[in-house]
Amino acid sequence: MKHLKALNQKAELLERAAEEGKAEEVFLMASVAGCATTFDPGWEVDAFGGVAGLCQPMEADLYGCTDPCWWPAQTGDMLNTNVNWTDGKNAAQKDWRLLDAIYPED
Amino acid sequence: MPSVTSTKLMAYCCLLGGLLIAALAGAEEPDPQSLLMQACAGCHAPNEQGQLSRIRDIRKTPEGWDMTIVRMGIWHGVAMEPAERRVLVKYLADTQGLAPEETANYRGLIERRPNMPATNADEDIGVMCARCHSYGRIALQRRDEDEWRKLANTHLGQWPTIEYQALGRDRNWWEIARDQIPAKLAALYPFKTEAWTKWQSHPAIDPSGTWRISGERAGVGRYTGVLKVKAAGKDRYETDYALSYADGKSLTGQGHAILYTGYEWRGAAKLGDESIRSVLALSADGNQMQGRWFLKEADGIGGDLHAVRVVDGGSGIVAVEPPFIKAGTSPSITVYGYGLTGDVKLGEGLKLVKVVQATPEQVQVEVKVAEQAKPGPVALSIGPTQADSALMVYRQIDSIHVEPAFGIARVGGGTLRPVQAQLEAVAYLNGPDGQAGTDDDMRLGSLPATWTVDNFDEAAAAIQDAKFAGQIDGSGLFTPGAGGPNPERQFSANNVGNLKVTATVQDGDRSVTGDGQLIVTVQRWNDPPLR
Repeated sequence: MKHLKALNQKAELLERAAEEGKAEEVFLMASVAGCATTFDPGWEVDAFGGVAGLCQPMEADLYGCTDPCWWPAQTGDMLNTNVNWTDGKNAAQKDWRLLDAIYPED
Repeated sequence: MPSVTSTKLMAYCCLLGGLLIAALAGAEEPDPQSLLMQACAGCHAPNEQGQLSRIRDIRKTPEGWDMTIVRMGIWHGVAMEPAERRVLVKYLADTQGLAPEETANYRGLIERRPNMPATNADEDIGVMCARCHSYGRIALQRRDEDEWRKLANTHLGQWPTIEYQALGRDRNWWEIARDQIPAKLAALYPFKTEAWTKWQSHPAIDPSGTWRISGERAGVGRYTGVLKVKAAGKDRYETDYALSYADGKSLTGQGHAILYTGYEWRGAAKLGDESIRSVLALSADGNQMQGRWFLKEADGIGGDLHAVRVVDGGSGIVAVEPPFIKAGTSPSITVYGYGLTGDVKLGEGLKLVKVVQATPEQVQVEVKVAEQAKPGPVALSIGPTQADSALMVYRQIDSIHVEPAFGIARVGGGTLRPVQAQLEAVAYLNGPDGQAGTDDDMRLGSLPATWTVDNFDEAAAAIQDAKFAGQIDGSGLFTPGAGGPNPERQFSANNVGNLKVTATVQDGDRSVTGDGQLIVTVQRWNDPPLR
């Protein structure tokens, strides 16, 4: 590592993890940072009935779910049903607060 | 500013919660059959009998039909005034609804009970449908095989990535969805059933009159009361509530209700300072109603409701407070009902000390419970009116169950309210086998408890779920932490958590504890009445 310099925050986190002796720790399937179709965690609970394996934070990949209508029963389905659901709310990390309920209470 | 689509969506959907119970104002109601043709026949071609394609082949609950109409609005721009929608939902639920037997196993879903563990009547259907929906949402529809197959086609067309999701991509999903599941669905949930044929000729029930009601709102307590129902148009009613909680607090309220499909009661009322909704099922003889009411703003918070019609010259016991009494004590108990006249007689192990107060609606007595009284239900009668299981005797509380045993709360924020979880500590007896947690355990009822939350397992402890996921108060009401990424958590995770909830109840000098699991999870933006 001494010949490599961290250029961004993620790299710094990796560097710090190595310094803290956590280089051997692997969070595969137990904690999904971000998300991918390969993992396909549940929306409410993970494959083990807990929440440690959920896509977390949810906002990191919310639009990755809604764009290809991955969780249409829980979120907006932007492929066909709620096409403009996120218009103008492009930064999920903060704009999630602006998203309308699909079925708001009366 | 909402987008065009979401604004349209809001316009269609924001009426939904109140739609099923909103009273029809105005003199003229649209003719439902003309309305159906006008709104739907452009796409759904009529047959020689004038029945519209697809629509004629489906039966659903009122909520199911309303969700269909909402969907047609969003997908195909079917414009409909709120009054028109109400008429159409009523017409479709009345003419193509579900019989009482067909909804009996899934009342909890219609009543919007939180934290109902789903049971899949068929595992293959469960894998196909209940990974995204509750199983009940499927089981509350009736179609024949071809029509179920069209629903599979609708799913593939509308949500094409369904084929690439887990349990889709790793098997011949489409072949299974198209060729196998529709036949299974049609066998379990066919369009034509004897139950529906019989129910269609069932004499109409008029719920007008006076009802004695009882129930319990979790976290607040048991109540009894009176519901007066007055006709206000065809299948429409005005309602008047008077409730008394066990702690002495009284509430009154007024509202209205609609009866769908001859037995599906949907009510709205202002009860005290809270707006509530009620979802009840009338019994076939018209003399009982059973269901749940919940806060309009938070359907997870509410209470059970059992109603018994007050019949002229009749009598009935609807509740005893407290419903369980300890051996070796001399408690005061109150029997609630109607037409209660005559001598008070108590079962084995109980001795009447004195009658404190006696009216046809409530009889208060002091009793002495023998030290050796047998634990379990004890008979009680007032004149000719009997109740065999309204009162229980116990020597000690054998176990405490946290109910629901598997609860869910959700973080909120932004446009969504957090979803709280109301937990109860419920006392049980072991029953004849002397073992806790077996089928013969006997439920006594809820008790005040002290509440704590902890990490459910090692995985939860590793990411400190109990620290971040939320707080529980003295009434067992869990409030989740704030929504959004939390920079204090690993990976800036949300304030989700897998928690062990422990209730501790004092039984004399003993402390009895019970555990439950509470999942604190993320929001759902798509939250229709049948989830």
